[in-house]
Amino acid sequence: MSDATSDMQVTAASDVEVDRAALDKSIKDFAGPNGDYYVRVFHKIHDATGAFPWTFNIAAALLGPIWAASRAIWGMFWAFLILEIIAWVQIGRGLWGDLGADFLDRAAQQRERMQERLDQAAAAADEETRQRFETLAGNMQRAIEQNIERAEAAQAEAAGILITGVILLVAFKLMQGVYANILYEKQYSHWRIDPDHVESGRYTPNLVLGCGLTAAIAPLIIYKFTVSNSLSLLNEFPERRVSEIFLGEGGGTLFGAVASWMEDRIDAAATAGSDVFDGIVSGVRTVLDGLTLALNGSPWPVVMLVVAVTAYRAAGPRVAIFTVAAMAYTALLGYWALAMETVALVGSAVLLCVIIGIPLGIWFGKSNRAYRMAEPVLDLMQTLPAFVYLIPIIAFFGTGNPPGILATIIFGMPPVIRLTALGMRGVPESIKEAAVAFGASKWQLLKDVELPLALPSIMTGVNQTILMCLSMVVIISLIGGGGLGQEILEALQFAAKGPGLLGGFAILFLAMVMDRIVQGAFKRADQT
Amino acid sequence: MNDPVVKLENVWKIFGDRSSEAMQAVLDDGLTKPEVLEKYKCVVGVQGASFEVARGEIFCIMGLSGSGKSTLVRHVNRLIEPTAGKIEILGQDVSSLSDRDLRRIRAQQIGMVFQHMALLPHRSVRDNVAYPLEIRKMPKSKRWAVSDHVLGLVDLTGYEDRLPRELSGGMQQRVGIARALASDPEILLMDEPFSALDPLIRLQLQDQFKALVAQLRKTTLFITHDLDEAIRIGHRIAIMKDGVIVQIGTPEDIVMNPADEYVRDFVQGISKLKLVKAHSIIESMDSYPGSLDGAPRADESADLDALIDLAVGTDLPVVITQDGADIGIVSKPRLLRGLQGGKDERRNQ
Repeated sequence: MSDATSDMQVTAASDVEVDRAALDKSIKDFAGPNGDYYVRVFHKIHDATGAFPWTFNIAAALLGPIWAASRAIWGMFWAFLILEIIAWVQIGRGLWGDLGADFLDRAAQQRERMQERLDQAAAAADEETRQRFETLAGNMQRAIEQNIERAEAAQAEAAGILITGVILLVAFKLMQGVYANILYEKQYSHWRIDPDHVESGRYTPNLVLGCGLTAAIAPLIIYKFTVSNSLSLLNEFPERRVSEIFLGEGGGTLFGAVASWMEDRIDAAATAGSDVFDGIVSGVRTVLDGLTLALNGSPWPVVMLVVAVTAYRAAGPRVAIFTVAAMAYTALLGYWALAMETVALVGSAVLLCVIIGIPLGIWFGKSNRAYRMAEPVLDLMQTLPAFVYLIPIIAFFGTGNPPGILATIIFGMPPVIRLTALGMRGVPESIKEAAVAFGASKWQLLKDVELPLALPSIMTGVNQTILMCLSMVVIISLIGGGGLGQEILEALQFAAKGPGLLGGFAILFLAMVMDRIVQGAFKRADQT
Repeated sequence: MNDPVVKLENVWKIFGDRSSEAMQAVLDDGLTKPEVLEKYKCVVGVQGASFEVARGEIFCIMGLSGSGKSTLVRHVNRLIEPTAGKIEILGQDVSSLSDRDLRRIRAQQIGMVFQHMALLPHRSVRDNVAYPLEIRKMPKSKRWAVSDHVLGLVDLTGYEDRLPRELSGGMQQRVGIARALASDPEILLMDEPFSALDPLIRLQLQDQFKALVAQLRKTTLFITHDLDEAIRIGHRIAIMKDGVIVQIGTPEDIVMNPADEYVRDFVQGISKLKLVKAHSIIESMDSYPGSLDGAPRADESADLDALIDLAVGTDLPVVITQDGADIGIVSKPRLLRGLQGGKDERRNQ
């Protein structure tokens, strides 16, 4: 059609000429010094038809990690720095490492003690005592000989270690020589894509940095592993001495100072905000009491019937049968009241998670800034080990069931928040735009479009939250939470295998029943 | 009655954090689009667009992707706020509306159809169509009745209780059209409604849509990237390029007198048979020296197709009449040039 297309000649792939000139210039731009060498080896790599292009970079082999640093191939620098140090440590140990030193030391000590025994034998008053000491000394003598033998054997290994070290070093050098150009060519390919961010050429600061790192790391490590009685400073971080610098002599450790300062702060905060914290606890207790009353206050046959029918309606006959069996297990083993307490605990936690979590999720789904700020907090809530925040919870809220629920909420709420936000973000812009174009207000948009479309994701979040809350049941018994968790904790304390396992199964059944019923209900809701 | 239903006056849209600064710079120093991008990191979406759409008119906005046509049409119901300029619908300045009034106008006066249908997947076809009415808080019995009526207009009776995903693409888009018609709006905004459909369904829907709009007399802004579609549907066409409206005119205008090289490239492949009318290629009676006795006659509104039918039976030119009176002729060379889209004037001048 146009002139450009008519000028274009179609050529078979086999006839296409490789345009060396442009490529050469680009490679030279990339490589900087020694450009001609790299042009040659890159061509060799580019022209290679086999799986592995064989080239050998003498500079890389000789200089090792320092070459890699100068060419800014940092992955190669670190990998081979570590490998070469391993080789050098072996060489060092083989050459001047005092290999049998441990055994010789022991032998020397034993010799002293043998001498003591001999002296005691010489000084002994009666024949019996003398003989006893002489026997002891004889035993000692054998031990000494053994140790000396071992030391000699260890020293004999020195040659072997040295040879191993040398072989390793040569092998690593060869590997670097062979792989250097291949890795450098990869770097070149990256550089072509993103020349602003991929380093190219030989850059003196990189060379200095590489030399510096090598100089700082290699000698210390080799010294530490080679010399048997190296400086104690290198074995252990001198935290006491550092503490003395900050706090003066006899001022205790930094750890002690920071810990006691934090304790004071927490105590002060707990006292200052006691009204607020008491309010929160009583709010949680109200929810818990309501649920406990419903589950444990109602006659057990009523509760069982309601649960069984719910299971049947929500998830079908198979789950209903399983539910009945699980309830029979808990009831027959006398766990009924405890199980209901656990359900009340988990139920209140889940309820609060949902009530707080879904609005937060909606907010984070709509506001990017809020989500960015909340994300680290959510990560923290999920990754912080539960034992860590149990302590401040005790400080602020005391012990018992309500603080246990609060701890459960901290652990259980992130999924429902995250998945609500995810669901809100997943609502297609076009559908939202359509609703707005037809005059929907913000509330109508949320109610008619965003929430219904985000619902599957929100339900997944609620289900995950339920499971996370159940997994906290045992942990919160540490701060006085009741129910089945307490049973397990007691069994653990007395290593009571039978009760522990029975209680454990009760929790497992509880979790499975809750999960199945909730999932069944959600599936049903999805279909309508 | 002659007041335009939709009126845009010098509308500008600049996207970006520093759009108002950029706008000022454009007005003061006449910065071009790339300069604005470089200097203010702002993208110019629409540059000084002005047009009027009369009641009952189908006004097509044609342009390639990224030409700003979707952005432009979203100014009409203020889904996008203009950086500068004035937008009036039914004599009301859209920019000055309060949120409540804006929502009311969107719900009552403007129906919109989207390229990707944008139906609510969890609602039945009927409830989708009734959604604009639900927003207006119309009682359920009433809105269901309206919804069923409108679904009848787009031939979807019997599908009311289905979910959108159970319908084919063409049917889904008909639901979209029904939804736009449900609140009996004055204005229809069609954002590439048929682009995602396959060609045969597209042709059907175009015809169906044209008939429907003619019957209901809706003022329509129709966005498309397909000139054939624009010509087939539109009373007038605006051609957009890089945010600028390059030309506005009737399909015939655009095809016969393209404003610039860009439009000319577009119209080159368009069939002129049904599009070009006798009055656009008419010559004076004097240009034929001989006698016109026995020459075939055609009205000035006859298209090329009809003229060719007349011309093949005779050596004489076709005499063109207006209200029965002879006003000019069309010779065979002229007719052939007309088929090419009036090429002679261009090349021989």
